[in-house]
Amino acid sequence: MGADISPLVISLWLINVLVDSGGQLAFKAAATQTPSTATGMDHWRFMLARPWIWIGGACYVIEFVAWLAFLSLVPLSDGVLLGSINIVAIMVAGRILFKEKLAPMRVMGIVLVSIGVAVVGLKG
Amino acid sequence: MKRFYLVGFLVLMAFDTLAQLSFKKAGDAALPLEFSPSWLWRVFAQPWIYGALIGYIGAFFTWMHLLRRAPVGPAFAASHLEIISVLVLSHYLFQENIGMPQMLGCVFIVAGIACLALSEAQDHGATEAVDTPADGTAGANAAAR
Repeated sequence: MGADISPLVISLWLINVLVDSGGQLAFKAAATQTPSTATGMDHWRFMLARPWIWIGGACYVIEFVAWLAFLSLVPLSDGVLLGSINIVAIMVAGRILFKEKLAPMRVMGIVLVSIGVAVVGLKG
Repeated sequence: MKRFYLVGFLVLMAFDTLAQLSFKKAGDAALPLEFSPSWLWRVFAQPWIYGALIGYIGAFFTWMHLLRRAPVGPAFAASHLEIISVLVLSHYLFQENIGMPQMLGCVFIVAGIACLALSEAQDHGATEAVDTPADGTAGANAAAR
């Protein structure tokens, strides 16, 4: 991120990783809370009545503001790099909170996508 | 299961791509950018912003549907497939330059998603071999984790 890393930039970056991960995990919790018997509209109705989905939505609103503020301080390519770190953060959080398996091939896939996203953000 | 992921992620990619391209079109059509009600009026007065809205809503429902079965870690990584379609279409629609890093990045993303698909197939195959429940749901759930 060059020489202009200020405490504000670091704080906005941390907020972004936290709320992006928090939002995704809340959505995962909302999606899996529904009883498997609930299908179609019943499934959505049940899900929209859970707090998790609204917590996820709130995370997205905070993220939107934090992301805008972050991008106003750093170049877009650095912002894209941040997006790649979120992928790894969500992988780790999924492992801890949802006991998701981290088979070597799966970890390799996630790491490759993260590198890919970071590389796309590099200036051509 | 294979079809669920294939169709799910392709639909997600289509909605995400529609949203991103529509945002760009809507932003361009509403230029010059200014923080005033007249800019907002210009944005909402032309059709592209509704494409973005449809894209966002469609992507949200598709993502929630995918998350019901897919583990969030690998699924979130795979949802970045949209970067490739947006890059390719922005080249054709907006004459944007795709440089070496972008191409290399796309190769990494495709390789990563191929690994995720392979891991999912291995996992699913192994679970089926170990236990084949009568209704098939336990195996599918185990494979999803």
